[in-house]
Amino acid sequence: MPQRLRCAVPRGLSPAVSNTSRTTSRSAVLLLPPTPRAASTTRQYATATVAKISSFSLPVDYVPPTKPPTARPSDTRKSQLLRTYTSLLRSTPLILIFQHNNLTAVEWAAVRRELRIALGNVSSAGTDTTELVSRAQLQVIRTRIFDVALKIVEFHDPSKVAPTTVSALTGEKVQVVYNHDLSKAAFQAIKTATQGDKPLPEESAYAQISPLLAGPLAIFTLPAVSPAHLAAALSVLCPSPPTFPPPSRKKFPGYYDAVAQSGLQKLMLIGGRIEDKVFDLEGVKWVGGIEGGLDGLRAQLVHMLQSAGLGLTSTLEGASKSLWLTMESRRSVLEEEQNGGKTADKEESS
Amino acid sequence: MITRFITDVTTRFNPFSVRARPARLFLSFLPPTARSSGMNITTQLLPRTSTEPSTLYIKFKDGKEMNLDCETMGIKSIVEEVDRHSRMLQKEADLAEA
Repeated sequence: MPQRLRCAVPRGLSPAVSNTSRTTSRSAVLLLPPTPRAASTTRQYATATVAKISSFSLPVDYVPPTKPPTARPSDTRKSQLLRTYTSLLRSTPLILIFQHNNLTAVEWAAVRRELRIALGNVSSAGTDTTELVSRAQLQVIRTRIFDVALKIVEFHDPSKVAPTTVSALTGEKVQVVYNHDLSKAAFQAIKTATQGDKPLPEESAYAQISPLLAGPLAIFTLPAVSPAHLAAALSVLCPSPPTFPPPSRKKFPGYYDAVAQSGLQKLMLIGGRIEDKVFDLEGVKWVGGIEGGLDGLRAQLVHMLQSAGLGLTSTLEGASKSLWLTMESRRSVLEEEQNGGKTADKEESS
Repeated sequence: MITRFITDVTTRFNPFSVRARPARLFLSFLPPTARSSGMNITTQLLPRTSTEPSTLYIKFKDGKEMNLDCETMGIKSIVEEVDRHSRMLQKEADLAEA
């Protein structure tokens, strides 16, 4: 059996190796009849071909386009989890943060089941309710990785990363921007933002939410801000009777079985992140209590603006009115005085 | 942490304060069967703006009460403190059994 030449050239490299001859197998060359050119002055042997291939090398600063450089190893589970969290944070407007204190697997299953039932029963005006419900989920997160993901989302601006010069396969220099979440730029950005004793700016969302990120956490995510669905979720996960009553015992007996109840007792709503703003328990309840969703809010705003307009006109009118009233009263007083003076004069003269 | 001898846990904290961490971690150390085995766990969350200190109140089976100050103690010292009494109770229980 002829020895196979090991040709470890990937398919993508064909432009770079196009100058080498097509016959890469030594046996193939040996079997070929001597061509007239080969028979003449320069005989080209297979060994020459081998030498050419082994001398083939990629540019020193060549970066495969499918594997951009990263600050941390990209193929570990943690890194991929980090990417999952950053994309989750960027795409999800409504996140509720829970602390879970040692729930067992069956308790998690029961809590998720009740949550799904409650969300499925929400009747809201939107047509994409079923899709929204199918994408709502309650998941346990790795707290530290979630913390890093929050930092990246807050402090790393991918549009501001300067391009890097690397070589393409053919050797020419090209400008490439490496601004992904595992990149060195992202790593540097969060490092400089949270470095040292310098406190984070008060208004940054990360500074507000970072005290929450301790201990075992779970998040409930909704792909859209829908107060109706949020209210349903709150009434299951964190019921507070007047506004978010727990599901009725007759309709939802599953909610009251021992496993589900013990699971719910161990879940503790500690905060939320809605539209990139941080809310505490009361804030989350306030959002859940908005009637009619965003349209309801808009109606409220329109009404407020209208009534404010009315108030403004009356206020503006009021100032001039009061001025007119004062002047008028002053005039009447002066007139009276004049008249009084005249009468007094008359009395004196008489 | 020995939790067998704890009957009551009452915490009160503002999760947005850094000093709430010991109280929250203490809650996460309680076993999954804590409530079903007769421990009363009450948690009160304070609003975000409150500056009240976070508190942790623990009552043991022998009636000893502990008011742990989360402002100065970390979770390690809290566990140490609780375990010190629990170990004593454990010793008594073992002697009674034997």
